[in-house]
Amino acid sequence: MHQEEFDGLQSSACGEFETKLTLLAADELDTSESEEVQKHLQGCERCRRAFQQEAELLALMSSDRSEPDANFLASCRAGLFDSLDQQEERGWLRRFAGSFLPSSWISPDPAWSAALLLIIGFSVGLFGPHLLRHTPTSAKTSQNPAGILTATEPADSNIPGSDLNAISPLDLHSADVAGINVFPAGDNAPPQVELRLNTQRPMMVSGTVDDANVKRVLIRVLQDSQRYDPDVRLDAVELLRVRNNDPEVRSALCHAVHTDHNAAVRLKALEALDGAEPQTLVRQTLLDALVDDQNPGVRVEAINELRDLAAKGQINSDDELLKVLHERIKKDPSTYIRLQSAAVIRDLGPRQKF
Amino acid sequence: MGMSVALDGDARLAAAAKVQEEHGLVRSAQAGDRLSFEELVRRYDREVLRLALNLVHRAEDARDIYQEAFLRVYKNLHRFRFECSFYTWLYRIVTNVALDHLRRRTSRKEDQAPVPEDSEGTTRDFFDRQPEVRAASNPERNLLGQELGEHISTALNRLSPRERMVFEMKHYQGLKLRAIGDMLGTSEETVKNSLFRATRKLRASLAGMR
Repeated sequence: MHQEEFDGLQSSACGEFETKLTLLAADELDTSESEEVQKHLQGCERCRRAFQQEAELLALMSSDRSEPDANFLASCRAGLFDSLDQQEERGWLRRFAGSFLPSSWISPDPAWSAALLLIIGFSVGLFGPHLLRHTPTSAKTSQNPAGILTATEPADSNIPGSDLNAISPLDLHSADVAGINVFPAGDNAPPQVELRLNTQRPMMVSGTVDDANVKRVLIRVLQDSQRYDPDVRLDAVELLRVRNNDPEVRSALCHAVHTDHNAAVRLKALEALDGAEPQTLVRQTLLDALVDDQNPGVRVEAINELRDLAAKGQINSDDELLKVLHERIKKDPSTYIRLQSAAVIRDLGPRQKF
Repeated sequence: MGMSVALDGDARLAAAAKVQEEHGLVRSAQAGDRLSFEELVRRYDREVLRLALNLVHRAEDARDIYQEAFLRVYKNLHRFRFECSFYTWLYRIVTNVALDHLRRRTSRKEDQAPVPEDSEGTTRDFFDRQPEVRAASNPERNLLGQELGEHISTALNRLSPRERMVFEMKHYQGLKLRAIGDMLGTSEETVKNSLFRATRKLRASLAGMR
């Protein structure tokens, strides 16, 4: 059936004009050529029909167009910028390594470079296991043969040789958190946490959220949202919530509200900030979420917390805050947010008259 | 007349200022200023994503093309010598990445009839993504729409990657054939032939639909 139609269409325009009609539809003819074709079209029914079909084809193809929506574009951008961050870090490491081993040593002679790599490989194979066997005794870390690393020192400890250095920044950077297990403890005690890390060899970090290693890993999870599953990030927020007055934790939660691409995580991070000391960063995070977040649930949580702070008199009324709230009253698509914004202004007191 | 000349002059001056400003951004990005690079990305990435999305009809594939293209731009930015516009240079990279992707997909049988996905990764028919007014709760029209979408998808799969690219860039990105030739690293004549072949194939495939 298609072949028949194809053959019919092939002969529907006068031979010499077939390609010119395509170019006319594509607006690729110069003025004189265009006039020539137009003149021909006036006197030739076949070509007029063929040109009409050309226009219909383009219209038909236009019906199958997609436009990337704003969320999709934003998520592609976020992914790209994260990849760029990682590339820059890798580039920095390469330059650092290059300063010890200049490429000029190796590049002129591939045979020498191959020999050097063989020697390095041989040495690592020979001495590596020996060095690894000695690592646990040299570091003051309680680590069992299965790679279970138990954090025993409190996060705020200043005791030299505590577990603060048990996981190196490089380990932390390259580690994937494969899972978080939480074991509730009674009597308002913080729950026990087990973090399974995939590093070069599997490692387990266990303790409470008050332990430095546990805290560092959880904060890292929030700082690198592209890398970890939303479930892991949600668990991390939930666990860190009890320490929301710790400046590092507070900062990580605010970071999650600003940058996490999952609305559930942003919402949970906002909730986790509830009750935190309302210092500048927290206040700014609430305002940013209220103004910029695309998710209405997150914006509602932000205005609720602002209302709560205003009702308790824990937030100062200033021009920036009032400007944001007035803007919300005028522009926010959610009726609830518009009403709550007005209520916050009222709660802030009689400083502003409107 | 005098007014029109003055307006033309103003437009030219504005265009020249815009080019200068963009070159300034490119130079800063070449010197390692990440923010300048991000600004360049923001200027063009919607068009790049639209091109990718309409070529591959699958959100995840479009995201891959977008990411790979801009990472290549970032890595090779030092090679840009201001001999053409940044836009042309960027599109050379984007079209190369997209053509590679289409060629790989053509060689994988399971990808012959792509099912579009939305930005959340959920599989949905193309017509599910159209504004509600198109379906208008009319099942007959909806069914016709689905059939049409399938026909167009089949017709597009009959084009070679290059023909598909030329058709897309000409009719939907609004580029001139000469510019497309510059971007694809080929002559205007070759691009013209690709456009003829693409149009004929589509005409043959979709003749019964009009």
